[in-house]
Amino acid sequence: MILADRPFRTLLSREILRFTRVWVQTLIPPLLTSVLYLVVFGVALGGRIKQIDGIPYLEYILPGVALMNLVTGSQMNSSWSVFDAKRERYIDEVLIAPMSDLQIALAYSLGGTLRGVLMGAGVFLIGAPFVGIGVAHPALLLLIGVLSAFTFSALGTMVGALATRIEHISFLTSVVIQPLAFLGGVFYSVGMLPEALRIATLFNPIFHTVDAARYATLEVSDLNPYPTIAVVFLLSVLAFCGAWWAVSRGPNLRY
Amino acid sequence: MNGTPALKVEKLKKTYSTGVLALDGVSLEVGAGRFFGLLGPNGAGKTTLINSIVSLARPDSGSVEVFGRDAYQEFREARRMIGVSPQEINLDRFLTVEETMLYHAGYYGVPKEKAKERTGELLERFALTGKRKQRVSTLSGGMKRRVLFARALMHDPKVLFLDEPTAGVDVELRYKLWGYIRELNHGGLTILLTTHYLEEAEALCEEIALINAGTITAQGTSGELKERYEAATIEEVYLKVVGRDTGG
Repeated sequence: MILADRPFRTLLSREILRFTRVWVQTLIPPLLTSVLYLVVFGVALGGRIKQIDGIPYLEYILPGVALMNLVTGSQMNSSWSVFDAKRERYIDEVLIAPMSDLQIALAYSLGGTLRGVLMGAGVFLIGAPFVGIGVAHPALLLLIGVLSAFTFSALGTMVGALATRIEHISFLTSVVIQPLAFLGGVFYSVGMLPEALRIATLFNPIFHTVDAARYATLEVSDLNPYPTIAVVFLLSVLAFCGAWWAVSRGPNLRY
Repeated sequence: MNGTPALKVEKLKKTYSTGVLALDGVSLEVGAGRFFGLLGPNGAGKTTLINSIVSLARPDSGSVEVFGRDAYQEFREARRMIGVSPQEINLDRFLTVEETMLYHAGYYGVPKEKAKERTGELLERFALTGKRKQRVSTLSGGMKRRVLFARALMHDPKVLFLDEPTAGVDVELRYKLWGYIRELNHGGLTILLTTHYLEEAEALCEEIALINAGTITAQGTSGELKERYEAATIEEVYLKVVGRDTGG
């Protein structure tokens, strides 16, 4: 059976329609927030922190801000989409359609991935004219962006399928993802941190994605980017297995 | 149609995580082209039975075949043959009426051109053409019910599950829906109707099964049931069977 058959493509296009139809709510506010980060941290604080690793501060933070936006955008998209569909039970139409659970989990995860990638690219496009940034390894950046977005979108799909209350979704965004994003080396190099915090940061998956994106863009990073890509790939596989399990066997989607 | 039943359910058992035994080994056979009614009080297991057949609920054990296709092993083929009009309105609020139909067709693999054509026909049939560009969330309850009905028919199913299709519907629409359901059945569509409106079952169904506490307690044609329970109406049969089971 072909994975990308018409039922799968239809669900994926529905997922894309969902966030493009309400683009004023889904695309504009996060981009605006990112611009504010760039202004506040880059322009205001950038006067005090001239350079990190020989790179002007605003330029240094841009890949991380883009990644932060990509991660939150992809995770929020799929978690809310699945949770809303479940809460209003229109997910039933999908669950009884001739589609496998793998296809359902993949369509939701790819919908969020696309939104995440658009958000990340949007930050680059907005920031680039001010910073004048050039991307050293565009293909690598795209790979890291897609893998990161897919990882967090799959995580969102899993949480959306498992959540029983709206608070569970907000918890993922506000208590898990956002702190990890802020502590993921977006605004600083881990070399600037005390030893204990530096070690703790290594357990933050967002740090690895930010660091790899920074390497792909600026050729500076705290870690060697290639093992990081392997880690992100592994994380994406794990997150997708979680999403697949939640759609197929999770206790709160089917009765 | 050949001799393969439209629906064959064997020893279906379903226990919810709360410990409630919703189906206690239900077996049922619905012949192709039949109009079959499933009656029972609230919580008897009617919706659980439908949900278990379409994989919306995961049964503990038992088997389901749709026109000879295993509903779990050959789920794509089986599900393509089933249309469901659910009890609760579950329309995708992001979509317009027309998109609801087209996306549903896509979920069932119907080619685009055919889907457009069928959407036009069904919206016309259910007097929804004027509303086709309107978001489903803005429709009245009766219109939403009509959209659900039209959506269930979009992929041209062979078996139609109607779970309380006239719940909360005004008398005029109820009679219109009855007329349309009859017409579909005369056209060869197998229909499984769950309802607790007894007159609805008596007016429409060739064969009736009574379900209570997760088991089929009586089954037969309307005439057979009345004769067996020495009753003048299905309502009387129902009261005798369900009342007896609940000790009433």
